[in-house]
Amino acid sequence: MKHNFLWIAALFVCSGMTAQNQPQPYKKRVLESTEVDLLSSLYSQTGDHAAVSGGIGNESLQDATATIVIAIPLNDDDVLTIDAGVSAYTSASSSNINPFDGRQAADPYVASSGESQSDTWSNGILRYSHSSDNRNQIWSANTSFANEFDYSSIGVGSSFAQLLNEKNTEISLHGSAYFDQWRLIYPIELRPPGGGGGEGTPFHLENYTITGNPVYSPKFTPLSQSGRQSYAAGLGFSQILSKKMQGSLALDVVLQKGQLSTPFQRVYFSDVDNSYIENFHLADDIERLPDTRLKLAIGGRLNTYINEIFTVRTFYRYYVDDWGIRSHTASIEVPIKILMGRITLYPSYRIYNQTAADYFKPYDQHLSTRTYYTSDYDLSGYAANQYGFGVSYTDIFNNMHLWRFELKSIDLKYYHYSRNTNFSSNLITLGVKFILE
Amino acid sequence: MKIAGKLLVLFVITCSSCVVVKEYEMVHLNDPDMILGDQNCDRNLLTAQAYREAASGANGGKTGGGCGCN
Repeated sequence: MKHNFLWIAALFVCSGMTAQNQPQPYKKRVLESTEVDLLSSLYSQTGDHAAVSGGIGNESLQDATATIVIAIPLNDDDVLTIDAGVSAYTSASSSNINPFDGRQAADPYVASSGESQSDTWSNGILRYSHSSDNRNQIWSANTSFANEFDYSSIGVGSSFAQLLNEKNTEISLHGSAYFDQWRLIYPIELRPPGGGGGEGTPFHLENYTITGNPVYSPKFTPLSQSGRQSYAAGLGFSQILSKKMQGSLALDVVLQKGQLSTPFQRVYFSDVDNSYIENFHLADDIERLPDTRLKLAIGGRLNTYINEIFTVRTFYRYYVDDWGIRSHTASIEVPIKILMGRITLYPSYRIYNQTAADYFKPYDQHLSTRTYYTSDYDLSGYAANQYGFGVSYTDIFNNMHLWRFELKSIDLKYYHYSRNTNFSSNLITLGVKFILE
Repeated sequence: MKIAGKLLVLFVITCSSCVVVKEYEMVHLNDPDMILGDQNCDRNLLTAQAYREAASGANGGKTGGGCGCN
C-alpha cells in the first residue's frame, strides 16, 4: 500500500512539472507595429440646381481634404487608432446665402464673395479595439468629433465581432450615436433687420429695389430647434465560400431626430408672386422637413480571387427610408496585378439611382399650403454613373524609408461621377501607408 | 424589400453548406484586394457620396450624423 502511494505521488509530481514546462500557445499580435496612413483628396463638382437658391443656380464646389490615421499596437491584443482630418472648401452655392456683395448683380448662377463662400471642416476619431486570445472575438469602442462654421458633432460608437467555424464565418454588431448642433444661418433676406443669422453685416431690405412683386412677404418663422441626433445599429455577416471567394451581408438601421432640414436652403412657392433684387429671387421660405427620419440599408459584397493577376470585387445595396426614398447601388472593381504584384490597377464602375423624397419639387413648384418642402436635388429622383481608375504601388520589401518609417504602399485613384440632373464631379485621392520600424 | 429578404435567406443557406477553409489555405483570401470593405484611400469618396446621395449605410461609411448632410 505504501509502495503504491509513493508511485501515485511521483506520478502527480512529474505531471505538474511537465505542465509548468509546457510552452504557452503562440499568439500572433493583432498589429505587428505602428502603421501610419496619410490620405488626401481633391474634389470638384459642377451643376445648376443649387439648393441654396431653391433648385437653380451654380453648384460649383472645390474641396481639399487631408487626413492622418495612426494605428498603434498597445500590446498583443489591443490597438489604438487616432484619426484626424481637415477639409477646406469653396462653394458658389453656399456663397449665395448672401448674394448681395455689391460687386456685381446678385444672380443664382454667379458666386458671391460673401463670407459663406468658403469654410473649413475638421474632425477627429479615437478608436480602441481588443481581441481575445484566440482572436475569435473583437471588441471596439470609438468617440468622434467634427466641426465647421455652422455645424458641430460629437459621436460615440461600439462594435463586437465573433468569428466562428475556424474563422470562416464572422458575425458582427455595431451601434453608434451622434449628437449634432446647427448654428442656424438663414438666407440673408430672411434675417431680422439689425441682427440674427450670425454672419456679417445685417441686411436691410429697404436699401434695395425689389422688382416683380414689390410687396415681398415671405412665409417664414425661425426654426424652433437646432439640435440633431442620429442613432444607428447594424448587423454584419461574412462567410468564406471557397479558397478563392468570400462574401458578406450588412444591415444598417438609422433613426434621425431633430433639425433635419438645412436652414439656409431656399424654397419658392408657385402660388406666390415672385420678388427679385437684381437677378436674385427672394426666398418665400426655407426648406422644411420632418423632424424624424428612419433609414434602412441592406448591402452585400462578393469578392473572388480569379488568379494571381485578376480579382473581382462587387457590391450591391438597397436603401429605403420613411421620406419616400428608395435606391439601388451596384459597383464592380477589378484589381489587376502587374509587375510581380508590385503595381495594381483598379478600374471600377458604379451605378446609383434613387427615387425622390415625398417633399421634393423642383424650383418654384411647391405650394405654400404644404407643411414640408425642399428643392434640394440631393433628395430628388435621379440616376448616376461613376467611373474610376486607380494605381497602387506596394513596396513588398519595405525598401523605401522616411526616418524610421518604412513605406508600405502608395495608392492614387481618380473618380468621375455624373447624374442625369446635370451634375458632375471629379475626385482624385492619394493614400500613402508607412510602417514604423 | 421582399427580394432582399429572400436573397438573405438564400445566402445564409448557401453559406451553411460551405466547405471549411483551413487558416493555412487562406493565402488568396488574405490578399489585400479580397478585403470585404472599402480601401482606406476610398474613404473620401464614401464621404462625397454620403453628402450627395440620399442613401447611406451598409457599406462601412457614414450612416447618418456627424455632418449637415442628408
